[in-house]
Amino acid sequence: MNSALSKPLEGPVMLAIDKHLALQQQLFLEARLLDDERYNDWLGLIDEAICYRMPMAERRFRKDRSAPLAFGGGRIFDENKGRLTMRVDRLQSGLVWAEDPRNKVRRIVSNVEIWQGVQTNEAEVHSVVTIHRSRIDGEEKHFVAGRRDVWRETAQGWRLVVRDISLDTSVVLDSNMNTLF
Amino acid sequence: MINVDDLIDQSSGAQRRMIYADQAIYEQELERIFGRCWLFLAHESQVPNPGDFFRTYMGEDEVVVVRQDDRSIRVFLNTCTHRGNRLTRADRGNARAFSCNYHGWAFGLDGSLATVPLESEVYFNEIDKNQFRLVPVERVDSYHGLIFGCFDKNAPSLGEYLGDMRWYLDVALDAMPGGTELLGATQKVIIHTNWKLSVENVCGDGYHLGWSHGGALKATQSGDFSGFTVGNSSVDLEGGMSVAGLNGNSVLATLDGVSGYAFYPNPTLALKYLSENRAKAVERLGKLRGEKLWGSQLNLTVFPSLQFLPGLNWFRVYHPKGPGKIEMWTWAIAEKAMPDELKQQILDNELLTFGPAGLFDNDDGDNLSACTVQSRGWRTRQMPVYTNMALGRSGKRVGLPGDIASGVVSEHNQRYFYRRWQEHMQAKDWSEVPQYNLNPLEASDEQRTVQTA
Ligand code: FES
Ligand SMILES: [Fe+2]
Repeated sequence: MNSALSKPLEGPVMLAIDKHLALQQQLFLEARLLDDERYNDWLGLIDEAICYRMPMAERRFRKDRSAPLAFGGGRIFDENKGRLTMRVDRLQSGLVWAEDPRNKVRRIVSNVEIWQGVQTNEAEVHSVVTIHRSRIDGEEKHFVAGRRDVWRETAQGWRLVVRDISLDTSVVLDSNMNTLF
Repeated sequence: MINVDDLIDQSSGAQRRMIYADQAIYEQELERIFGRCWLFLAHESQVPNPGDFFRTYMGEDEVVVVRQDDRSIRVFLNTCTHRGNRLTRADRGNARAFSCNYHGWAFGLDGSLATVPLESEVYFNEIDKNQFRLVPVERVDSYHGLIFGCFDKNAPSLGEYLGDMRWYLDVALDAMPGGTELLGATQKVIIHTNWKLSVENVCGDGYHLGWSHGGALKATQSGDFSGFTVGNSSVDLEGGMSVAGLNGNSVLATLDGVSGYAFYPNPTLALKYLSENRAKAVERLGKLRGEKLWGSQLNLTVFPSLQFLPGLNWFRVYHPKGPGKIEMWTWAIAEKAMPDELKQQILDNELLTFGPAGLFDNDDGDNLSACTVQSRGWRTRQMPVYTNMALGRSGKRVGLPGDIASGVVSEHNQRYFYRRWQEHMQAKDWSEVPQYNLNPLEASDEQRTVQTA
């Protein structure tokens, strides 16, 4: 699946150190905005042309011989800016009862690699995100995912253009995914 | 055996909450419901070619559905007959044989034991390979592309089991030539709930829609869906019906012929397809079904654990994992005759609304879990819960099989679901399970117009 995540980059090039640090800071800022449910601020970091995707995972033999699915496996997330905004609208509607009282959420963003992207003003960023969600009573749920991002530098700062998310489990272990990766 | 006579009171619509919590009741369900009923296994479209296999469950028993070289379907317990290891670990795939990871026994697609490593050296050629064939599921049959299996050799035929539910199923499965197909990979989600709560949520509970899904209705701006409004502030009982009394199978239906696609962010393509093919649907299904049901929002439930919703186009089976846990498997379903562009849109929209991160589906899991947890207390497990809405307000409607209540907000279907549950849990075997198709189709009614293959 998602070969972009495992493909070795040919001679990856680092960004200038100040740009590298600024983008790294932005990843942590982004995580905090989501943890704090500052969804509109988060949407501000998202480019209008965003591709935000998470494919369905399956357990298949390494040498699988079956024909590919005609319409692909499907994606848990396959969002453009409009759909991300719709998700945010739902979360902010005040009618998502499972999020009230609020669940505490912490994202740990790690294994961050930042490389020069294909375009001069772009960076390709790989990271691992672990989302801890503390639900009612002692319930704690985790999602672990790999991410491959493309960020673009604009006059307003770095903006997210592509995020390919690879969820590790083939069975989703929580009763909802009222969260963003 | 647990006596379930007092656990369901059909006259008041009450269930004792221990049915969601008790381990012994669950064990009895594995025997008397999942060990006895016809269970959905796979759609023919998931195993199109010889050697294609699909791994699934019947209750807690793992099975593998295999397309044979002669294109027939066989189903085996997914377990090695030697020391009992799991046979295939892949969700699906294509194989010429299944070899066991433990000692290397290999089985043919037909379940025969093909090779035993060191057969002459350590078994001295004395092993009777016939005795060690994979264990087949006793009964396998299919209905318009849906493959079902049943462990009970005394069960009625699949056709009798479905009864007049077939008249409604055909709206989804046989309106267009070519039938249906499932799209995409299996969407698997674990929910910590009792399986019955998931089934009842979809088989009859239109009541929760406007309230539980208020946020999603608001965000997707589908607030006027068939008379529902955000926050359950109004309802239209004329626009739909709840149909049950068909051997535990049931239907919720709107009657406008288009509202199935109301949740779609952009239903233009779907509506175009419906209007272009309406005449054909009427020709195949008759006026009533072709005009009023095809394209409408339908919740179809085949007892005990298969549910699908043409329109929203999700197709789902629940696998129990103990009294308080299920694995919920969902796919998108489409008519084969649909244009590719619409199929792709259906898959995308199904995932947006009812996938693992579905805007609507994500509202249900926590409620269902909490209903289960709240049935575990020493005190609560003795208490009743009720499905007593519109009790006694159902009857016959001309030309439609089943016992029918008005509107899709009623607890009519849930009552029949629990009635069926009780009937199975009381019965020693199939001979004691009552068969009923209330208000069956009559010769004068609009009959199934399509000859089923
Ligand atoms: S358990 Fe399968 S070969 Fe021994
Ligand atoms: Fe729901």
